[in-house]
Amino acid sequence: MSVDILDVGSGNIWSIKNWIEKANVSARVVSDASDIKANLLILPGVGSAGSYMQRLKQGSYDQAILEHLDKGGRLLGICLGFQIMSAYSEEDGGIEGLNLIDGHVERLLGKVSHNSWEPISLRKNELDGQSFHRQMNLSKKQILNGRVFYNHEYGFVNNEKKSFSISVSNSLSKYSGLLVKDKIIGMQFHPEKSQITGLDLISMIL
Amino acid sequence: MRVGSVVLLKEQLCVQSYGWNTIRPLGSLQGVLDSLEEYQCDEVAIIRPVRKNDTLNKFQQDIKVIKALKTMTPISFGGGVRSIEHLNLLKGLPIERIIFSSAFLEKKRELITLAKDLFGHQAIKCLLPICYQNNKVHVYHSSLGNYVPLSNIDTKFIDELANEIVLFDTQHEGGKDQFDWLLLSGIPFPLEKIIISGGIGKKTKLSAQQQNIASVLIDNKVLHQEYSILDYKYA
Repeated sequence: MSVDILDVGSGNIWSIKNWIEKANVSARVVSDASDIKANLLILPGVGSAGSYMQRLKQGSYDQAILEHLDKGGRLLGICLGFQIMSAYSEEDGGIEGLNLIDGHVERLLGKVSHNSWEPISLRKNELDGQSFHRQMNLSKKQILNGRVFYNHEYGFVNNEKKSFSISVSNSLSKYSGLLVKDKIIGMQFHPEKSQITGLDLISMIL
Repeated sequence: MRVGSVVLLKEQLCVQSYGWNTIRPLGSLQGVLDSLEEYQCDEVAIIRPVRKNDTLNKFQQDIKVIKALKTMTPISFGGGVRSIEHLNLLKGLPIERIIFSSAFLEKKRELITLAKDLFGHQAIKCLLPICYQNNKVHVYHSSLGNYVPLSNIDTKFIDELANEIVLFDTQHEGGKDQFDWLLLSGIPFPLEKIIISGGIGKKTKLSAQQQNIASVLIDNKVLHQEYSILDYKYA
């Protein structure tokens, strides 16, 4: 099992590296699109959708991500890295995404922003319908119960019928907090900053 | 509502501060953050308590400490982020949110907009160190080194660009349940965007919760009471 973290010039890359390494798995930070080699590619996301997509295209990272998936690799998107997997985001006047998941991103309804911890509950076997199988036996945990940290102003509206999705919260049930589709997993929250729950989660999915 | 903590970083070490003037050494930043993470502190605001004599070199020295941090707690960082050169040093650090103070007071739109592009609008916080003087709210302008009346500040500019605003009661910093609620009377921001700090106690936390305030940041004195973060959370 190997993990590459894509560095497109923004975001808290080192927090994500720290998160993976806390699970005793090494991770590489990759800034050259042609250097992606790992089985699991992590797409961190901090910033605004417009400038982020621009950087993805300028560095040919968008093509590299598609090639990674074509080769059977797994993909994990975090926060904005998850949002740009959609077809379209209304941030920055409207941005075309990578279109990996049938869905769109919109401004959170009635909210200034969502900066909060929310509870999460997940059974490992709920992911069995997808091909994002864990490859390491890092944890015997079958159930994840904890809390995760959100910091966002836009939400992912999922239209994939065969995906597995957990909503952000009861009041933001329209938006996906965690979404798994085939070999792709997206997290609107920041698992790398979700303390013990973040560690439990990475141990369950790696 | 979130319950977080303020950690002051001065010359690469953490310090405790009282009343915006008196400081005592506290230890290494990593040690302090490890403790706060163990108590499941919701967030930590690391602030460099700088005045007008801050330099880029001093900033770079502190950034080295931030860069070496290993933490799984949400971190905001600020204090002396006054130019694009400063901002560029923040790329890739283990922080989610940037705190600006003087940049908001001086309406540095280009700097704050660049930060928004790099980190997202949700990452932009404004710090207003405030106190009550002559029946008026005053804001400490750190790059000038003095207080200015709130009425002289363009609060619409702050409301437009800041995702959240930290109101830091400078006179009651380090005290217990002494946060001055009068400070909020002249503040034109929605309460759900406001974070309060300085003199936070359990009663203050409860009152903030009732008023739908976004977060309270407990002063660094929590580190003398090992379990106090949990006490505050369930107060």
